[in-house]
Amino acid sequence: MADDQSQTDESGEAQTDGGTGIVPPDDETPTWSERKERRQGLSRLTYEYFERSRREDQDLRQESSYVERDVLAFPTWPHEMIRNLSLTSFFVGMIVFLSATLPPHLGPPADPSSTPAIILPDWYLYWSFGLLKLGPLNPELAILGGEKLFADRTYGVLANVVVVGFIAIVPFLNKGSARRPVEQPFWASVGVSGVVFAFTISVLSVKNIISDLIDPHLLFDLTFLLPIVAGAVSYAVLKSMQEGYMYDLNRRYYRLRPPK
Amino acid sequence: MSADDKYPESTGRRRFVKGVVGSAALAGVGTATAVGIDSATGPTGGGGGIVDFYGVENTAGPAPRAMPQIPLEVDSEGYLKGIWPEPETITLENGSEITVAEMELGGTTYSSTWYQYCGVQTNAGVRPDADQDNYFRYIGNSKYDWQNSEMEEGAKIHVDDFSDYETWGNGIGDDGLGKPAQAKWRSEDVSSSEILPVQVIRSTRVEEMAQDNEWLSASTEEGFIANLNKCTHFCCVPTFKGLAGSASAEAENQIYCQCHQSAYDPFSIVQKSFAALPIPEDS
Repeated sequence: MADDQSQTDESGEAQTDGGTGIVPPDDETPTWSERKERRQGLSRLTYEYFERSRREDQDLRQESSYVERDVLAFPTWPHEMIRNLSLTSFFVGMIVFLSATLPPHLGPPADPSSTPAIILPDWYLYWSFGLLKLGPLNPELAILGGEKLFADRTYGVLANVVVVGFIAIVPFLNKGSARRPVEQPFWASVGVSGVVFAFTISVLSVKNIISDLIDPHLLFDLTFLLPIVAGAVSYAVLKSMQEGYMYDLNRRYYRLRPPK
Repeated sequence: MSADDKYPESTGRRRFVKGVVGSAALAGVGTATAVGIDSATGPTGGGGGIVDFYGVENTAGPAPRAMPQIPLEVDSEGYLKGIWPEPETITLENGSEITVAEMELGGTTYSSTWYQYCGVQTNAGVRPDADQDNYFRYIGNSKYDWQNSEMEEGAKIHVDDFSDYETWGNGIGDDGLGKPAQAKWRSEDVSSSEILPVQVIRSTRVEEMAQDNEWLSASTEEGFIANLNKCTHFCCVPTFKGLAGSASAEAENQIYCQCHQSAYDPFSIVQKSFAALPIPEDS
């Protein structure tokens, strides 16, 4: 008879929680804020304030002779136009102000009969510039009699396609539902190695300038080894952090959303 | 379709007419666009085409071909002078007259079209009948300390300036490989954007190469060799043994382009072919 007692409560309703008292929340489960409101200082004050303004609003509507409509948005004129015009005026004013106060820098025209000793693209394009220098990775295929399938320059351009293509398909491989790196250590480490590779390939792109600091061959090897090492280290760290971190996370989750 | 619609009923005949009119309009717009683009981008001027030339071999990097050599001679006073064919006016079959600078030299046809690439074809000095004296002159801001300190900008290059060419070195690459200078050619009284940059090298290796080579014995003299110093990749101005970064591309003993690490071997002269751009008409 002990089994029967544990499966029904006093009112005779079936118990489905295994006797733990923990049940999944449904629509009628009061949230934590609902439990707190009206009982403590600030939340009670807030509740009273909103409740009072809601009530006043309701009374005014009922007294009013204004025809109620379903208003989906503000009208374009004047509301939206006034707002947009003021924003536009502000930014146009900023442009005029900055262009009037900062002295314009216009260097002399480029001299096609002389090239500076150091000539580079803008820094944010270094990664792409570095990808053009992957000649040593271009295999000499035995099936072609030791010839390369592509010229090194074609190979470098195709490397850009590969990198941009990989970045483009990552959102399809992983939806990014994790909020923290520990939740998905593998994808977090893929991201870490990608960021490190963006840095190392940028350094590789200026190898002819920093050849005093680091041997170009060593730099080329490090360009591809460092991202792998960084990815492996971050994977190991995140994986070992995962259990304890997720335990804390779950504990806090159930504290915030207590069972009914 | 509602009865009060003011548009007529859509019929098969009506749709057919609409299709014919629409496709005709599209074809008309397409043809007009094609003609417009063709007339706006079509090359004007003349004097281009497929050209065989001798140049310094491209050994590494993205450059597509060699940089054209400039045949040279040393005049009676010892000044270095590039060879430029005598311009002559020829009449084409359609009656129009053009001026060409073309000659037989060292078993090949040497002409002004060798240098018509990378925008150089718009330079005044490349016009066959340009009023220029063909002497190589030093530039002011070269990559060589010896040239910047000892030589005056615009001075003609003299053989005696290179008397130490058998031992010269500047810490980049091997000493004794040759003594270089950066010069301009056929660029007197032109704007700075129209200067023809030239790499001049005097080396014992050039003397050896020229001994039993018909082209080199005609185009070099006393170990001097010169080439138009415009990288065939993106038109930068490279340097022979003058840039510290060249070692990273293993081009410290070569002509090295700092833009994309192309390297040219000035001691390997090869015959190549390219499509020379036409010289634009006078504007």
